[in-house]
Amino acid sequence: MRIGDFKATYRHDEALFDTPVQRAWLAALALALVAFPFVAGSYYVYLACLLGIHLVSATGLNIVTGYTGLISLGQAAFMGVGCYTVAVAAKAGVPFWLALPLAGAVSAAVGLVVGIPSLRIKGLYFAVATLAAQFVLGFVFREWESVTGGVRGANVPAAALGGFELSGEQRLYFVIVPIAAVGLLAARNLFRTRVGRAFIAIRDRDISAEVLGISLFRYKLAAFAIGSFYAGVAGGLWGYFLRVATPEVFGFGQSIFYLAAIIVGGLGSILGTILGATFMTLVPEVLRAAVGWIEAAGVADAGVYLAAVREVVFGLLILGFLVFEPHGLAEVWRRTRRFFHLWPFRT
Amino acid sequence: MTVFDRRKFIGSGLAGSALAALGTPLRAYAQSGEIVIGAAPPITGVFAFAGAALHSGLGDWVEWKNGKGGIAGRRLRYAAEDSGYKVDQAVAIFKKFVAQYKPPVFYGDSTGWAKAIAPELSQLGSMLATGPSFSSDLADPAKAPYYFMPGPTYSGMIDILLDYIVKNARGAEKPSVAFVYSDTEFGRDPIAAGKAKAAKLGIPVALEIITKPGAVDVSAEMIKLRRAKPDYVIFHGYVLAPIPEFIRQMRETGLASRGMGTIYSMDKTTLDQMGATGAGFLGVMPYRYSFDSEKTPTMELIREFGSRKPNNPWQTIFYTQGWLVGMIFEQVIGRTLAAKKELTGPNMKASLESIAKWDTGGIFGVPVSLKTHAIPVGRTYLVTGKSIEPVSDWITIG
Repeated sequence: MRIGDFKATYRHDEALFDTPVQRAWLAALALALVAFPFVAGSYYVYLACLLGIHLVSATGLNIVTGYTGLISLGQAAFMGVGCYTVAVAAKAGVPFWLALPLAGAVSAAVGLVVGIPSLRIKGLYFAVATLAAQFVLGFVFREWESVTGGVRGANVPAAALGGFELSGEQRLYFVIVPIAAVGLLAARNLFRTRVGRAFIAIRDRDISAEVLGISLFRYKLAAFAIGSFYAGVAGGLWGYFLRVATPEVFGFGQSIFYLAAIIVGGLGSILGTILGATFMTLVPEVLRAAVGWIEAAGVADAGVYLAAVREVVFGLLILGFLVFEPHGLAEVWRRTRRFFHLWPFRT
Repeated sequence: MTVFDRRKFIGSGLAGSALAALGTPLRAYAQSGEIVIGAAPPITGVFAFAGAALHSGLGDWVEWKNGKGGIAGRRLRYAAEDSGYKVDQAVAIFKKFVAQYKPPVFYGDSTGWAKAIAPELSQLGSMLATGPSFSSDLADPAKAPYYFMPGPTYSGMIDILLDYIVKNARGAEKPSVAFVYSDTEFGRDPIAAGKAKAAKLGIPVALEIITKPGAVDVSAEMIKLRRAKPDYVIFHGYVLAPIPEFIRQMRETGLASRGMGTIYSMDKTTLDQMGATGAGFLGVMPYRYSFDSEKTPTMELIREFGSRKPNNPWQTIFYTQGWLVGMIFEQVIGRTLAAKKELTGPNMKASLESIAKWDTGGIFGVPVSLKTHAIPVGRTYLVTGKSIEPVSDWITIG
């Protein structure tokens, strides 16, 4: 049983991971992540890459929605901006290590353009403004044929590093996972800074925050730009991963996917982002596999009949978590940790 | 009494998910000598109207073929999972099956999916793929060498309709057409080529209308149509709505234009939903309908085999397409094995390209050859009050 954590130095107090146990687990996780593509099949590595991309985008949305309190319904559109930026940049010969931050920067710039007029409003009005951005950007993706390829989409050349082609999930894993890890760490650190705390203050009570000297407009805009940057990088990764940018992928449904991920995981929590993105990415796969077992067990046409049931079960699971644990999976995780910290005593 | 509290609910949910996840090892089910046909049909999602029947058609063909001893004495295994018509999920299924079974052939779900896996197909060089998309982009062996489509491209379908218009023109003046299409990749695909073909044939294009797929209110578009007064209105990129609404308003306003559709708006189940307004609608269909008055061996087989199972959608053209895909797989695999070659991408591609004057037993009314990895054959049908009747011969697009 762990009974406390005595901090004797400022350095210890400021540490992101402040206990030896945490650091040991983190090291084990890092080792496992490095070893993963060597021991897991390509399907699992593909899912890990997909999860990494979703994590980056969901982190951006959690910064905007979970931490700053601005409901955004356009995260997928900003991903699209990143994806098309990468498609254009890669065709122009820009290396991937430059194209990815460029994708984030262009997306952040578009976020600023959308944000400047929108951030004078808040709550549902802001949500509707981001919804409008989602549809306007979708229109641009479809109609600006010379750049985006229109509805047919654009092919994205493979990423390469000094002649070494980074195509396929096994290689891209070593691009996507480190970027996701850095993105998560950066977000975690952001909320230990003045800027991050300003975001939280705005979310909790914007009038009080303004009285305290926080420029609402400036900080809201900053949050929106940071969230869009994350989305742009995620979109760029998506482009390199699937090698194709089509407008249908970055539709409203995908924006809702990310919103659902951060709500299920836990708003305003980096851990919640991880758990929510994992839930939304992997549970449909698990449910599909479950349908496969039922069919393999000899139930004729189970695939046809249970496919729709699978969607319902997925929806009910989301609903169940919202009803029974409104603080999201992050709270479940915290409770579980607390249980083991105090074991054999009960909380 | 057991109290079902919040913690128990969440605990059991997580435990269930964990158990399910732990119990999902990728096992190589395929036995030695077995040939696996992988598939990611869109059983749910926006393409579900066709996906379940496509899945049943291909699955039933595999079952039937195994009853006949498989291909070259090797049994077949049909491995399929629902893609939900989502690119990332369809690619996940593709990756999963490639790792698990190494299938030589795969049936996918959308144009986006086909484009996403095209580089990997070339890289793998071990398989061929197909799907329900007839996008012209995919009928390009230079860009997608290991992809083929089980019918003509959407552009080819428009060509067949325009040929019909020219052949049935009366008087010196060519009838005019309007293109009404959805604002999707599916809808826009054949329009540029269709307009070029119309210009070549001397058919004036009176109007172009773009709508949302499934649009309900078409009043504004109808005003434009009434002004343009085209002789034919070609609808593309829809399954049902807004076609019935357009047709109804055309009837009500006395507009004499005739509606025309392409493959996915020409299934009987779809046309039945149009009801009486559907009478007089023309459209192109690459396959023979299951209720065709001409008896042919493959259609009889589909009827006999498909009707054994209750609620089997064997009457739909989607089921026929699934069955046809199985037959093409048989041709490709059978020809490769008969040449005593391995089932690799290049070998199967050569077999695919060798298909010429192939008798499908009646699915197509004429022997077919593959051109740019597509089958450029179709026929124009007329929807009457009670049925759908052919009004043209089988046309092979040049």
